[in-house]
Amino acid sequence: MAKIEFQNIHKSFGTTKVIENLNLTLEDGKFNVLVGPSGCGKTTLLRIIAGIGPATSGRILLDGVDISNVPPGQRGVAMVFQSYAIYPMMTVRQNIEFGLKNNRVPKAERERRISEVSQIVGLEPYLGRKPSQLSGGQRQRVALARAMVKEPTVFLMDEPLSNLDAKLRAAMRSELVQLHKQLQTTFVYVTHDQVEAMAMGDCIILMDQGRIMQQSDPETMYRDPDNIFTAQFIGTPPTNILGLESESFKLGFRPEAISLSVNPAPDKAFTHRVSILTREMLGAETLYKLRLRNGQEVMARLTDSSLMVGDELYLQVDEENLYFFDSEGNRVRKTLSQQYGAMLERVTRSHES
Amino acid sequence: MRAEGKPQEEGYAGPRWVPYLMVAPAMTFLAIFTFYPLANLVYLSFFRYNLISDKVFVGLTNYRNLLFVKKDFLQALENTVVYSFAVVFFTILLAILFALWLEKDSWFNRFIQKSMFTPYLIAMVSTAYIWSWIFDVNSGLLNAALALIDVSPLRWLNDSSLAIWCIVIVSVWKSLGYYLLIVLASLKSIPREIIEAAELDNTPWLRKFVRIILPMISPQIFFLLITITISSFRVFDSVQVMTNGGPGNATDVLVTYVHRYAFQMNMRVGYASAAGSVLLFILMVLTIFYFRFLGRKVHYQ
Repeated sequence: MAKIEFQNIHKSFGTTKVIENLNLTLEDGKFNVLVGPSGCGKTTLLRIIAGIGPATSGRILLDGVDISNVPPGQRGVAMVFQSYAIYPMMTVRQNIEFGLKNNRVPKAERERRISEVSQIVGLEPYLGRKPSQLSGGQRQRVALARAMVKEPTVFLMDEPLSNLDAKLRAAMRSELVQLHKQLQTTFVYVTHDQVEAMAMGDCIILMDQGRIMQQSDPETMYRDPDNIFTAQFIGTPPTNILGLESESFKLGFRPEAISLSVNPAPDKAFTHRVSILTREMLGAETLYKLRLRNGQEVMARLTDSSLMVGDELYLQVDEENLYFFDSEGNRVRKTLSQQYGAMLERVTRSHES
Repeated sequence: MRAEGKPQEEGYAGPRWVPYLMVAPAMTFLAIFTFYPLANLVYLSFFRYNLISDKVFVGLTNYRNLLFVKKDFLQALENTVVYSFAVVFFTILLAILFALWLEKDSWFNRFIQKSMFTPYLIAMVSTAYIWSWIFDVNSGLLNAALALIDVSPLRWLNDSSLAIWCIVIVSVWKSLGYYLLIVLASLKSIPREIIEAAELDNTPWLRKFVRIILPMISPQIFFLLITITISSFRVFDSVQVMTNGGPGNATDVLVTYVHRYAFQMNMRVGYASAAGSVLLFILMVLTIFYFRFLGRKVHYQ
């Protein structure tokens, strides 16, 4: 159980500044997911917590205690690496036991913990094997067991599922969530996959270029994005962003918020005439690429698969599904801004012109 | 790990004799300059022969003389073994220690690394002459240094118990930079995450070295063990230049022994061939031994 605080963290590699003045608090007991495109600094943050890639300046606090200068092995954290980093010359048991021996855990206690952990991750039949005799999924479990057996206050995971095939990844995903429920410790999970982040996290921290774009639960992240980056990073296909003629603000709406109809309904906030460019039938849903009359293209995701390429229709979006962003890309919210009304007004009338 | 299935047999589909034709030049070379001399060496060891007179078949007499009658061969063999073990031990030990020290990439470390490599480029004969001077009893650098700290001068190459160690020092000094490079490269090839995982496991320094780093570089160390041992058993030029096997027989090694009997002492080619055959046999046994026994304990990724 531990709360992690980053205070004024700076990190550079040589002359390249990766993170500048970052402040972040990760709540105790939560499944925190650091997500973002590659190079956004998420792994760097994880390594700062672990102590294997210390910050250039700034402090890192664990439960209020400054651990910036504590060696990695004494921070009470455990990490699962993307490459697993299992010791190749040791058996599964030796791998799991190695850290315990270093910390002088008595033999009886070691045995108890190893059998408990190997039972949880299903490694009992493989304890005597060398890593080279294991499959990718089993190696993943060894890495997990090696972290769990230390009973850490913080679990760090660096894209642990990225080397697994799709089926196994989905299975491990729910297993990790279960594990978190069971252990009730703080998890910090790094991924570049927004689906993984949404599926697993209690608290998502979305990063871009060393900055935190939004920190919230998955629901808020999806329904109430703070900026264009968040709106486009979360959800597939990404949120449609439209620029309006002679306006500095931008309009956004999700592909799944669109309705298409032959005749425009009067009560919709945004209406625009479109033609269907492409159609991708995915099963339960169908993706359409639409072209607006001004040449801009948007994606729509509908359950209706009956529309065909070339159809001319009306695209409509309800007011609650419209997002407005200022020229910097930051969200203009209804409750917070007087500009909102003016923006809505312009958009509602835009199709008439 | 390769996907299962039938082995790839694509590629060459021409006449069967073409590949043999293509390796023929290399095989001819090997046959003339390697296989024939080897066979001839063993053949000659059963004769009394001095390059001029007719060969006289003497059976195992040369071997009996070598191993049971004359004492000097066993002395040379013992010297060679002592020399080889010392060179292998100190070279590998120092190569690992220096590699650990130089592992961190910096301007200074790169300079040291290159400086240490330079001796490897100098001809052994030149190296031997330089060190002969350093070890010189009257005008040598080492005795001058000892004089500075008021230690009575040593006789170095003229001291029968010290001379072999002087030659060990020269060999280690000369080749250390090269072997250091190999160890350094293997250290750098260890995945960084494994070392970081060890740090997160709170591994003490020595334990990290013994349990993680050493096993990870063991294939390269194993390779060094074989190559250094074999090259040490073949030591010749440094001994020839610095001591010529002396004082007495104190630094006489197998190759100088063979050389002396074959080309200096009445051209006793048959007898020298027998000594050469023993050397060949030892090297073969060593190689087989290494591959059979040590190979099993080595971790290959």
